[in-house]
Amino acid sequence: MIQLFHINKNFGGKPAILDLNLKIRAGEFVFVTGPSGAGKTTLLRLIFGSDIPDSGQILINGINLSRINRSKLTFLRRKIGFIFQDFRLLPKKTVFDNVALALEVVGERANNIKKSTRQTLKLVGLAEKEKAFPLQLSGGEQQRVAIARAIVKKPLILLADEPTGNLDPILTQDIMVLFRSIHLKGTTVVIATHNQELMNNTALRKIPLQKGNIIDC
Amino acid sequence: MMNDSFVHLISLGTIIVSMLIFGTFLLLSFNIKTWLEDWGHSLTMAVYLEDDISLTNKDHIAAFLKSVPSAKIKRFISKDDAYRDLKIALGPHSDILEGLPNNPLPASFEVILDIHEANIDGFKKFQKKLESYKGIEEVQFSEDWSRRFEGMMNVVRYIGFTIGGCFCLCVLFIITNTIKLTLYSRSKEIEIMKLVGATDYFIRVPILIEGLIQGCLGGLLAILALYCGYLLLVTKKISFLSLAVLEFQFLPYEYWLSIFVISVILGLIGSMIAVGRFVNL
Ligand SMILES: Nc1ncnc2c1ncn2[C@@H]1O[C@H](COP(=O)(O)OP(=O)(O)OP(=O)(O)O)[C@@H](O)[C@H]1O
Ligand SMILES: [Mg+2]
Repeated sequence: MIQLFHINKNFGGKPAILDLNLKIRAGEFVFVTGPSGAGKTTLLRLIFGSDIPDSGQILINGINLSRINRSKLTFLRRKIGFIFQDFRLLPKKTVFDNVALALEVVGERANNIKKSTRQTLKLVGLAEKEKAFPLQLSGGEQQRVAIARAIVKKPLILLADEPTGNLDPILTQDIMVLFRSIHLKGTTVVIATHNQELMNNTALRKIPLQKGNIIDC
Repeated sequence: MMNDSFVHLISLGTIIVSMLIFGTFLLLSFNIKTWLEDWGHSLTMAVYLEDDISLTNKDHIAAFLKSVPSAKIKRFISKDDAYRDLKIALGPHSDILEGLPNNPLPASFEVILDIHEANIDGFKKFQKKLESYKGIEEVQFSEDWSRRFEGMMNVVRYIGFTIGGCFCLCVLFIITNTIKLTLYSRSKEIEIMKLVGATDYFIRVPILIEGLIQGCLGGLLAILALYCGYLLLVTKKISFLSLAVLEFQFLPYEYWLSIFVISVILGLIGSMIAVGRFVNL
């Protein structure tokens, strides 16, 4: 469960998040929407603990982010998969090693790493590219590597920042199906996007952000 | 953006150059120390005999001196020899000797002493034993002198340690900063690893191993370069000053082994310090 209480976050005096209150239940699938600059990325980063709010409290599964030290935050992060808008892949590692890294850092056994990584690459349709380096891939392929790295560790929470921004409509549908199947296995999924098509014909909850706060539709 | 292997070469180069300077310093000071000991070795001692010494007593003294392995009789100077030597030494002023009623100079043994720091104590015993012989007027081998010799070696050693210590600190500072440079070039990578959930330990260990390897490699290459330099110096027989007369030796293994160990430690501590501030972002 994710809870935000009166969160404020400013960048150089300008508010990116303004007195935001939000509750996302465990196992929920939600969209965070809004125009560019609305604060979607900032919101996800705050939940992930890679940005610290100027004021307010954030609770993840009952753990207050402002009350834990760095090493506890690291262990909390291992339960959260984050798909970065700009991918954040390691250019000197292969596709396989980039995805496997998420399991290596938690000290998973080598043969488990191999198995899970292969499986996940297959899920995102990149089984053939495992030996390639990120810069040899198209934008959409890099995006799928980033998705694979976030889901390979079977996170409790999946934070996806514009995860289909570089994908064609068919791949977008495939990835959405993938997210739904992860969700069905119990993962809480939070997707930030301004792509209206993603949210077409779904009854899933939408959190519309504007200027750092939720607007009433 | 700086190339990774280039940055690694810089920090490896830093270690090599620093260790080479350190090694050169060690090599020179080791040789100077050896020369100083040799200089002690060639000092002579004068055993002045009484004028009325009996022949047997004189033979006893000569036999005793011969029996001591670290002492060697260079020559016996009779009263007449001593007088003649003094006369030659005085040169044009030698006429002042004319006024003396008889030869005031004693006969003496000139003895070459094999003095090393290790046998200074033995020497004092030797000196005492010598003085107990009948017919000796004076032994000109003062304790002061041996103290000075001992003291000088200590001074040389302390200066060496102080300079070496300061040097190691400077090198540590430089190495730490060059390793920081390698980390800056990888700061993005480190950040991503943290975002994916890597502990400090996970990030730190490979960097420490890298520092260790750089220390090993740097130390080995520095010793190799030092040895090559030494061979060049020895085979070319560079004869500036009087250095050619003195034998130039390479460092014994304890010394170059310590260069290696110091290099490894500096590489390790350097990366530890560098990574410490870096990982705790
Ligand atoms: N690190 C930062 N430094 C300065 N300003 C920032 C920083 N991160 C975000 N901002 C500002 O905060 C506001 C919200 O940015 P954010 O990235 O959250 O928007 P977004 O909704 O993700 O937009 P987009 O859809 O374009 O990704 C923007 O005005 C942005 O300029
Ligand atoms: Mg964004």
